[in-house]
Amino acid sequence: MGYFKTSEKFEEVLAGFFRLIADTPTVADKLLASKLVIRFKYSDPDVVLLIDCAGEKLIIKTADEESKVDVEMTMSADIAHKFWFGKVNLMTALTRKQMVAKGPVPKILQLLPAIKPTYAMYPEYLRENGYAEYIVF
Amino acid sequence: MLPDFFEFYNPTRVVFSPGIAKDFSAEIESLKVKRLFVISDEVISGFGLVKKVTDGLESAGIEVAGEFFEVAQDAELEAINACTDQVKSSGAEGIIAIGGGSVIDTAKAVNILVSMGGNLIEDYSGAHTLTEPLNPLIAIPTTAGTGSEVTMIAVVYDKKNKIKMPFTDKFLLPSLAVLDPEMTFSLPPKMTAATAMDALTHAIEAYVGLQWSPFSDALAAGAVELIFNNIVEAVENGNNVEARSAILIASNMAGTAFTHSMVGCVHSMAHSVGGLFHVPHGIANAIFLPHGMEYNFQEVKDKFAKLALFMGEDVSGLRADEAALRSIEAVRKLTLKLHKLAGLPLTLKETGVPEEALPEIAEAAVMDGTSFYNPREMVKEEILVSLKNAY
Repeated sequence: MGYFKTSEKFEEVLAGFFRLIADTPTVADKLLASKLVIRFKYSDPDVVLLIDCAGEKLIIKTADEESKVDVEMTMSADIAHKFWFGKVNLMTALTRKQMVAKGPVPKILQLLPAIKPTYAMYPEYLRENGYAEYIVF
Repeated sequence: MLPDFFEFYNPTRVVFSPGIAKDFSAEIESLKVKRLFVISDEVISGFGLVKKVTDGLESAGIEVAGEFFEVAQDAELEAINACTDQVKSSGAEGIIAIGGGSVIDTAKAVNILVSMGGNLIEDYSGAHTLTEPLNPLIAIPTTAGTGSEVTMIAVVYDKKNKIKMPFTDKFLLPSLAVLDPEMTFSLPPKMTAATAMDALTHAIEAYVGLQWSPFSDALAAGAVELIFNNIVEAVENGNNVEARSAILIASNMAGTAFTHSMVGCVHSMAHSVGGLFHVPHGIANAIFLPHGMEYNFQEVKDKFAKLALFMGEDVSGLRADEAALRSIEAVRKLTLKLHKLAGLPLTLKETGVPEEALPEIAEAAVMDGTSFYNPREMVKEEILVSLKNAY
């Protein structure tokens, strides 16, 4: 059994964090500059989240499997959770097929410096929003 | 110090022998295929290299189900789709690619579509998107540079949208790589020099890249040694089997090294001038190699010092930084020699790239996918300095 027992809880936690990122201009502005639309497909438990950076504001959508995207990232919920603690090397995860990236991978790699500050934000966000039990790294 | 993690995966069967392209029926037998489709280009076909292979196949009872020679300078999406239709209707059980990097990349992409169906860019571009093995693919390189016969990488050019899409997947690795130095005899001296410098760049960048491992180091260092010992002879005397063999093997070893540890800033700059100004890849790598080494000098000088030995430099009694500088000097001496022998350009200016385009080239270079594997962070302003030095 992974860190998250239900899809509802994982979606609540991660979508909430993505919304925090969207409200953090120092990070959001750099993501918006990419103009990418990215779908994240998580498994165990299953959740789909979409981040739309193509407009003037970051838009976070849940359960959107229809919209056309530039990049689709597939991974387990546990790997995603670990990633936001800054504990997953993206290149290694791709090599080990812990993550699968469909689309222009270099554009995803270019976002890494932009999201680096969020690794410190994630445990803080979990603590402040009553999700302290998920601080496992 | 060892890396925290590495993986080494090399399922491609590699066979080498002068003349083996005429008969490798023993190796095909293990693939259990009786009908093969040939992908090549008009130039290679014109040299009689395709016929050499197909005659051998037919003698061994393998049916040539069809041939496609319309591969351009890049592996273009339009040609890939056209070729896919032909392979499908031919009923071939596998593909033979006879050519350089573009031919082999085209064959890899065609093999995805023939084996899996669907839309190449929408369904499979990216990293490790394939879910099962593809049909058998045999690669016979006719240049000694790209190493594509042993890499899990293919780059496809979408001419309509003017974008290059990278594909990285273990299932792209060919089933069999046939290394026959006689297949490279027709390469003219300048092309021999440029492709060998491409292989040298693969080896050096794989050796110092962020994803290095003891496996990639061993292959890269071995490739550097073979290239330094044989490149001049291969350029001067294209029919020297020994020298051609050494460069072909080195290209293969360097390909295996870089498909694991990737490449860095030299390739970032080369991809940039290739995309913007169509500077041939091997020539661009040859121009940028010493400048890229200088860019990375402080981060990896210990590794450059070790490489100097494989380049034949006497570094006894030298400090690490002095020995490391010798490796860069050795590369410069080599490119100068190839310039004199075969007209290999030494500067970016000689390729016709306008000086005012350097900032645009620097910007594209730092955005290139290879930049993330470089041992030193690629900063636009500092890459611009390297580009100016190369100009």
